[in-house]
Amino acid sequence: MQPIHLENVQKNYFLDKVQVSALKGINLKIDAGEFTVIAGPSGSGKTTILNLIGCVDTASSGKVVVGGKETGSLTEKQLTDLRLHTIGFIFQSFNLIPVLNVIDNVEFPLLLQNKQSPKERRDQVMRFIDRVGLTQYAQHRPSELSGGQRQRVAIARALVTKPQIVLADEPTANLDSVTGQNIIDLMKEINATEKTTFLFSTHDHSIMNQARRIIRLLDGRIQE
Amino acid sequence: MKVYFIIAYRNILQRRVRSLMLAASIVFVSVIFSLLLALVHGVQQTMIANGTALMTGHLNIAGFYKVSQSSANPMVTKYPELMKYAKENIPEADIIIDRVKAYGKLISETDSTMIPMWGVNMDQEKNVLGRLEVEISKDPNNPADLSKLSESGTLALFEVHAKKLKVGVGDMVTVSLPTYRNMTNTKDVKVVAILKDVGMMSQFNAYLNAKDVRELYQNKQDSTGQIMVYLKKLSDLPKVEARMRKEIAEKGYTLMEKESSPFWMKFDRVAGESWTGQKIDITTWEDETSFLKWIVSLLGALTFILTIVLSIIIVMGLINTLWMSVKERTTEIGTLRAIGMQKNKVLWMFLLESLILSVSSTLAGLVLATIICQVLNAAAIPIESDAFKMFLMTNNLSFTFGLAQALMTFFSLVIFFTLGSLIPAFQAAKLSPITAINQS
Repeated sequence: MQPIHLENVQKNYFLDKVQVSALKGINLKIDAGEFTVIAGPSGSGKTTILNLIGCVDTASSGKVVVGGKETGSLTEKQLTDLRLHTIGFIFQSFNLIPVLNVIDNVEFPLLLQNKQSPKERRDQVMRFIDRVGLTQYAQHRPSELSGGQRQRVAIARALVTKPQIVLADEPTANLDSVTGQNIIDLMKEINATEKTTFLFSTHDHSIMNQARRIIRLLDGRIQE
Repeated sequence: MKVYFIIAYRNILQRRVRSLMLAASIVFVSVIFSLLLALVHGVQQTMIANGTALMTGHLNIAGFYKVSQSSANPMVTKYPELMKYAKENIPEADIIIDRVKAYGKLISETDSTMIPMWGVNMDQEKNVLGRLEVEISKDPNNPADLSKLSESGTLALFEVHAKKLKVGVGDMVTVSLPTYRNMTNTKDVKVVAILKDVGMMSQFNAYLNAKDVRELYQNKQDSTGQIMVYLKKLSDLPKVEARMRKEIAEKGYTLMEKESSPFWMKFDRVAGESWTGQKIDITTWEDETSFLKWIVSLLGALTFILTIVLSIIIVMGLINTLWMSVKERTTEIGTLRAIGMQKNKVLWMFLLESLILSVSSTLAGLVLATIICQVLNAAAIPIESDAFKMFLMTNNLSFTFGLAQALMTFFSLVIFFTLGSLIPAFQAAKLSPITAINQS
C-alpha cells in the first residue's frame, strides 16, 4: 500500500479578495520507505503539499489519501488521530515545547497515544534520544541546546511513535551546512533502518541531491 | 496528566511577574470574600445566640388564648401538661423553660417607656438569660445580681432603657400592664441588674419575675407565655418540630397554621379570627427573629455584590493573562495540535493553568483570612457607633469563619475564575495546527 497518494489535487486560497491557486492538479504517489524531497522555489507550493499530506489543511478539490485513508472524508477528530498515529512532523523552527526537557518533549506524542505503560514509554523515549545522540542532554530544556541538537530532539519526537510517514518542512533551513548535513544523514540512516517514509521540502541543492527521488514543483505544478 | 500539570506549572513560573500579580489579586478577593462571609456568619451566630437568650427557644410551644372573638392573648393555659410532654418526649432537648409574656410601661421618676417584657423563673434561666453580660453597678451598696430576679418585685433591663429612664441598680421603677380585661395594674419593682446592650434586640426586652407578671395580669399560675425548648443539636430542629406538631395535635390541642413571623406580628390576624379558647402555635427561633432577617439578608447581598464586582475585575485580569499566554504560545499550541493533540486537551491544558493559579491563590487567601479572623476576634474590636451596634446586634466585631464559609469561598471563586478562563481556553483550542507550520 502506498502511504501517500494525491489525485488531481487543487488548492486555492484567497489573499485579500484575490484567489490564488497554490496547487494546480497535483498527481503524486509515494511508496513506503521512500526518501523523497520536494524541491522548488519559494511560492511553488512545497509547504502546501506538505500541509495537505500532514492533514493540517484540506484540498479545494481532488483526492488526498494518507496511510490508506482519504483525508477529505475524515472529521477533525479523525484527522488529529491520523496525525498522531501515522505522521511525524519535523518543523523548520524545531517547535519544541520550551518548558519541557528533552525527555518530556520526546515522550509527549506517546502520552497522547496512551498505549504503553510508563516503563515501556520511558524505554522507548530513551532509545530514540540515544539514537539521535542526545542521551547526555536528556534533562536539558530546549533553550539549553544548540539548533542542531534541538532539531535532533524534534526528529526523535517525530519518530518515537514509529509513524509510517515523516514530513519535514525545510528541516535544515535554520541550521549551518555541517549541522544540516548531519541531520540529513540521521534522517537517511533512520529511513534505511526503520523503513519510515520520509518526505521533506528544501531549496538547498546539496541536500536535494542526496534524496533518492526529487519532486520538482513550479507554480503549483509538478515538473518531474 | 502529569505532563499537562508540568506544562501549566512551568508556564506559570516562566511568566512569574504576571502570574504573581494575578495570584496576589486572587488572594485579595479571597480574603475580602472570606472576611465578609465571616462577618455575616458572625452576625447570624450572634443573632441566634442573643435571640435565643432574649426572646425565643430553638423551638417554642406558644399560642393564643381568646376570651372573646376580638381578643388575642399570647399565652398557653394549663401549661404544666405541655411542659411534662416536652420533658418526657423530646430527648433531643438540652434545656426546657417557660416564660410569661407581657407588654406595658416602665415608669421612672424622670421618664417612661413602652416595652415588651418577659416574666422569668430564674431556677430555669441559668444557661439562658444567665448567658448575657451584666453591667457592673455604679453603686457599691447595690451590686448587680441577675439571680435576684427569682425574688418578687425585681426587674432587669438593658442599658438602652436604663439610660432612657435614668435608673441604675437599686432604683425603683413602676411597671404598668394593661390587662386583657382592659384594666391597668401596676407594681413597683427594684432594678437588680442592667444588661449590656446586644444591638437591636435590646430594644424589645426587659425581665420581671414570672409570678409578678401573672399577678399583674391576674392570670392563673398554670398559665404561661411560651415553653421554650433548646436543642442539643440545632440540626435536629426540623425533625423535632415536625414530631411536636404531630404529637401535640394528637393530644387534642388545636394548632395554629405555620407562619414565619414573631408572635407580636400575629395579634391582628388572631384578633380578627372568630374562634375562642386556646390554640397552640409551634414556632422556631427563625420565626421569632424573622423581623431581623433583613439585616443578614442585606449583609449577604452586600457581600455578594462586592465579591461579584471584585471577581469580575480579577476575572478580566485572568482572561487577559491567559489571552496573552495564548498569543505568545500560538506556535506551541499549533505544534501540539499538529502532532496529534485533540482540541479538548488544549482546552484542558489552559484550564489547568487557570485552576492551578486560582486554587493555590484562593487557598492562600483562605489561610490568610483564617489568621486575620483569629487576630480580629482576639483583639475584640469594640464597635463605637451605636447605629452599627444596633445593626450588627453585637458590641464587638465578631468573625465566624468555619468550614462552610471556607468551602463556599473556595468553590465560588474557583468556579467563577475557571468559567472566566474558558473564553481564552476555547480560543486556544480553536487554533488551527496550520498556524504552527506557517509561523515556523
